[in-house]
Amino acid sequence: MERTDIFDKLNEIFVDVLDLDEVELTDATTADDIEEWDSLSHVQLVVAIEKAFGVKFTALEIMKWKNVGELVDSIAHKLYS
Amino acid sequence: MIVNSINFWLFFAAVVVPYFLCFRGQRGQNVWLLLASYVFYGWADWRILPLLVGVTAVFYGLGLAIARNNESNPRRASQLTTLGVFLGLGILFYFKYFAFFVQELTALFASLGVPCGERTLHIVMPIGISFFTFKLMGYVIEVHRQTAAPTRDAVEFALFIAFFPTILSGPIDRAATFLPQLQQRRLYNERDVSEGLKRVLWGLFLKTCIADVIAPWTTAVFSNYAHHNATTILVASPLYLIQLYTDFCGFSEMAIGVARILGLRVAENFQRPFFAKNVAEYWRRWHMSLTTWITDYVFMPLNVAFRDWGLWGLYAATLLNLIAIGVWHGANWTYFWFGVYHGLLLCIVTGLDKRRKRFEKAHHLKDNELYAWSRRLLTFLCFTFGSVLFQAASMGDFLGTLSRLGQGFGPLYTEEFSSLVIYALPATCLMFLREWVAEYRRDIHFLHSPNMLIRLVTIALLISFIIYAGQLEGNSFIYFQF
Repeated sequence: MERTDIFDKLNEIFVDVLDLDEVELTDATTADDIEEWDSLSHVQLVVAIEKAFGVKFTALEIMKWKNVGELVDSIAHKLYS
Repeated sequence: MIVNSINFWLFFAAVVVPYFLCFRGQRGQNVWLLLASYVFYGWADWRILPLLVGVTAVFYGLGLAIARNNESNPRRASQLTTLGVFLGLGILFYFKYFAFFVQELTALFASLGVPCGERTLHIVMPIGISFFTFKLMGYVIEVHRQTAAPTRDAVEFALFIAFFPTILSGPIDRAATFLPQLQQRRLYNERDVSEGLKRVLWGLFLKTCIADVIAPWTTAVFSNYAHHNATTILVASPLYLIQLYTDFCGFSEMAIGVARILGLRVAENFQRPFFAKNVAEYWRRWHMSLTTWITDYVFMPLNVAFRDWGLWGLYAATLLNLIAIGVWHGANWTYFWFGVYHGLLLCIVTGLDKRRKRFEKAHHLKDNELYAWSRRLLTFLCFTFGSVLFQAASMGDFLGTLSRLGQGFGPLYTEEFSSLVIYALPATCLMFLREWVAEYRRDIHFLHSPNMLIRLVTIALLISFIIYAGQLEGNSFIYFQF
């Protein structure tokens, strides 16, 4: 799975979980850029992502992401390793 | 020596002049500020100074050790972080909660018929302990998560912990944003000084013209609740919430302003909470440096750990998060139940969130102002109820206060009420006007107007208000007790 495919799938998950009309995630996107993405919805996103990609993150990994780019790196790392 | 007293400003003048004039580099400035911070803290309570210096040294070492092990030995790094967190909690528990637990356990055993004697512990609670232990614990967690770089400079670290404008009552700063500022020399900057003085002025206005004018009346009501009727209790409750806000926000504005004069930016603490449309948003705007700390280091780890339980996991994490915020304030059942009350409110808001959004979409309510203000009023009332619990000395007092509501209405208690109407009411209207402008009309400015005349008139108005109406005895702040 290419990075662009991961982004496509993530866009769908964000729209679904956060109830958005549409979203265009980039490497630099953070929670500050999306009003509905707060500490309450963050973990709902993580659960949906884990389910969609069939991966499981550690607590430390989840705490360390600073933007969507790092989240995508984590997913890619899990898928290819 | 508090920020609204003459003594503080004499001390500050003695610190700030050499700070800008005598040091050629940041190191000299940091040593000077650290010295000033220890004098300031020692002034408040010299007996605790060795404890502050000691724990600072231990956490400085822990930070470096965690950073060394982060890559080479992650298990060790986790153990050291856990040690740091337990040490911080241990200090907090001993000084803040231990006497309460002993007292409660003694009472419990006595009620079970097990004699264990009368035991009263006299432990001196270090002033500002809840604030500096949170900074210490936050530092080791951030270094472990690698969201902040550890510092090798012991003076820099000690100054981050003991920085005098914020050590007694916050805001609770983060290493990631504060430490880098100490790594460069601060030059005298007219913009910083002007901005800092404006924030001090606004803080002083909130504290002296609103909080301290309301305080004598609400104290008279709540400390003698048994003598007051429902009318008085119903008027005093929202007034106490306004008092609490202007007292703590006033202090925070002054602390942020003093730091800004020194060329340092500290965390913001309030963002117009009375404009929040639900309790979740209110908590994002109220005592932000504490709520974001607890969200990052308590709520998120719990929420992540409970994530497979679905919504119930979220509810459990939310409830525990708010209980942590409640008991952070002190060892009293009122704070525990304050946390439970707000935790349950947040769970309700979270549980109804999707339904609310659908309802708003269906009825085109998103931009409806009347609907928005009804939600704000409801949020304000929820917090008003919580603040009655917050101010009560015990659960007995809280229930006693509530029971007065059932005793019927009557004339309002008007002793000392006139100063409240004459001074605090117009001052509160001015505060709401400024906050309304900041929320709705960002193009209008008073203190920051490009027009010098408007700026000067606003400053003159605030200063005259403070001189004419303000309580200038240097009254203490509610949050100093935490």
